Parts: sequence; C-alpha cells; structure tokens
Amino acid sequence: MSVEERVKRIIADQFRVKPEDLKPETSFTKDLMAESIDTVELLAALEEEFGFEIPDEDAEKNQTVGQAIEYMKRKVAEKEKKGG
Amino acid sequence: MQVIEAIKEKARREKRRIVLPESGEERILRAACQASAEGVAEPILIGNEREVGAQAGKLGVSLGGIAIEDPSASDRLDPYVREYLKIRSGKEVTEALARRILLKNLYYGAMMVRVGDADGMVAGAATLTASVIKAGHLIIGFQEGIGTPSSFFVMETGNPEVGEGGVLIYADAAVNPDPDPEQLADIAISSARSARALLGWEPRVAILSFSTKGSASHPLVDKVIKAAEIAKAKAPSLLIDGELQADAALKADVARKKMKDPGPVAGRANVLIFPDLNSGNISYKLTQHVGGARAYGPILQGFAKPISDLSRGARSEEIAGVIAIVSVLAQSILPESGQGK
Repeated sequence: MSVEERVKRIIADQFRVKPEDLKPETSFTKDLMAESIDTVELLAALEEEFGFEIPDEDAEKNQTVGQAIEYMKRKVAEKEKKGG
Repeated sequence: MQVIEAIKEKARREKRRIVLPESGEERILRAACQASAEGVAEPILIGNEREVGAQAGKLGVSLGGIAIEDPSASDRLDPYVREYLKIRSGKEVTEALARRILLKNLYYGAMMVRVGDADGMVAGAATLTASVIKAGHLIIGFQEGIGTPSSFFVMETGNPEVGEGGVLIYADAAVNPDPDPEQLADIAISSARSARALLGWEPRVAILSFSTKGSASHPLVDKVIKAAEIAKAKAPSLLIDGELQADAALKADVARKKMKDPGPVAGRANVLIFPDLNSGNISYKLTQHVGGARAYGPILQGFAKPISDLSRGARSEEIAGVIAIVSVLAQSILPESGQGK
C-alpha cells in the first residue's frame, strides 16, 4: 500500500468515513468535525502505523487530508534516505 | 510583600505534588530544584531516571528528594491505559493506541493528575499551549459547568486604590481569540473560582466593554450583556456584573456617577473580564509596561484539576513561581461545589 493509501485508511478509521470520500482539500476541523482532542489519537495512530514520532508543532500545520498526506510522504522519504 | 511571595507562603503551608513532564528542559530541572528547596511543592519529574540524573549532574542541579517517574518503566502504565480506554469508551480506541499516547510525558502527567497520583501539572516550556490544553481537555476534563478552557493573569499594579489592595485578575489575555457569550461567561466563572482558590478573595467580577449599562449600543456590547446574563444564571452565588467600562468597574466615584445603583461589583471589581483577546492581551501588556505592574501568568483555568501552561521563554524562577501558583490552586479544587480540601 502506498503512503497515501495508508494515511487515508488511518484517517478514515479515526473519523469513521470511507477512504474514497477523503479529498485532498478535506479539512479535519470543518469537514470531519474533528475536535482538537480527536487529533491526539489520529496522530498516535499515524505514529503507530509509520513507526516514528510526529511533533505537535508539525501536526498543527496539517489542516487538510492533502497536507497530511504530503507531510507523511516527505517524512517517510526522509527516514528512508537516512536509513539507507 | 509581593503577591508571589504570599502565594509561595500559602503553598508551603499545604504542599502539593506537581508533575513536570518536560524533564529534558534545563529550566524545568532548575525550577523543580528551586520549588523543592523553597518547599512550595513536591515536584515530580517525568522522564528516564538515568537521563534526568545525568543532565542534572551536568548542570550541577541537585535532585535530592525529587521523584522521577518513568512512564515506560512504571507499574502505573497499565492502569493508566485502562483508565484512558474508560475515558474514551465509545470511541473504539485500541489498547496499543492508548499506550502510545500515555508514553508521551505530557499525557502521562495529565493522567497522574486525573487519577490523583499528582495534584497538578505545569508544562509548556517546550510544548505548544494548544498541546497542553489538549492534554487537559482529553485526560482531565473541565470543571463542572465549564466548557471552555481559558487563562488568567495576576496583575500587581502597586496602586492600592484599585482591586484588592492594588492586585487584580485579568482574563482571558492568552487563550480565546473571540469568545462567544457562553464562552465569555465561562471565562468569568472560571476566573472567579481562580481568584478565590489562589488569592482567597471574595471575587467581584466585572465583564468589561466600552459601555456602562446601556450607555452605548452596539452588537459588541450586546455580546457582553449576554455573557453577564449567562454567567449570573449559571453561577448565581457569584458577584458578577456587566457590561461595565474599566473606570466604572474600578473606581467607586465613577461608578456612582455613571450608575444609579452600582451594586456590589461596580467601583470595586477585583476580577476584570475582557470581551476578546485583543482587548485582554493589549490591556495586560499596557498595565505591565505603561503602568509598571508585575504580571504573573498566563495560568490556565477551567479544568477539573489545576494544570498550567508556561510561556516558551519562561525563566526557571518564573517557572518555580507557576509551580507555586498551581500548588495553591490544587489546595482547593472546585471551591464552589464545596469539594475543596
């Protein structure tokens, strides 16, 4: 599964929506009605899936599904580069 | 005596356990050491004992008598995970997820406070305010009747003509940018409770505006009037009034001139509630820098148990002061409902 698919699946699980309904512009707070405390678990679920920590400072900047996917892609690429 | 000295004196009389999740910060270690030496709290540091010890050694800070709690090695982690799943029942949170969250110092610290293994928490030297608030909201929850966390400053003006011998509480000058009437009412009620718990005052709360009892009409004024009505209905035992201008709130002669019946608040308010973050933040900074007042805060309020944020640049002495403040707040939780110790 691609990073994009994995991120979408986790977001979909957390907010109980279908992955195919998540668009890049889907906003966590406006469209998914995320309360700030829901994002704590979303973050933990992403960390659990990808195996690295996501600082709150970074998380605050990702307001849409598209931004979160791009962020995770970048982080995964950085980790691979470091690891390899 | 400076207000902070009086607060420390009060903190020393009934010491409370204050958890500090940011043991990786030099300032936190120094503040823990100072708070412990001054006897204003029993600090608990969260972190790996060996690492914290090594860093303290490097800094020449003595951690003698200060407890260090390591989430990953603690027997408390399992019961905390169970407690977390209980809080979030109905959300289908997995045990692995709960464990991952509680292995973060901030959430572990909040859980210690929730279950009573600590009495209060101070964090924010290296953590976003939003994160501290999130941990408080998620793990500790709000005080009865409160749905909005906020913050207050203790302002020591040096002018005995105003407030409580020159001391005032200002809120909210740090957290809520544009509170609606319900939120503003929550800020007023939380601030009254904070004033009572921290300073032992009978709070007289003025919700401020550019109008005094209908002297101006504008939607911005309507918001304040509505907030005062809600606050009074929610907490009928508290002395709350609004809308009032700052001079009518603080000066008895102005209150008498502007109002037929000033009542118990106008002219002698000791808690000032600002209609939004613009006015609150600007006022506290002007009082500090133009008026020469000392400002202590922002201290978070509205949570079921006391936690506070720190400003990122806080010095270790300031952090030790916040530890004392949270310690005193922990001496009387929910004073209104009679649950205070």
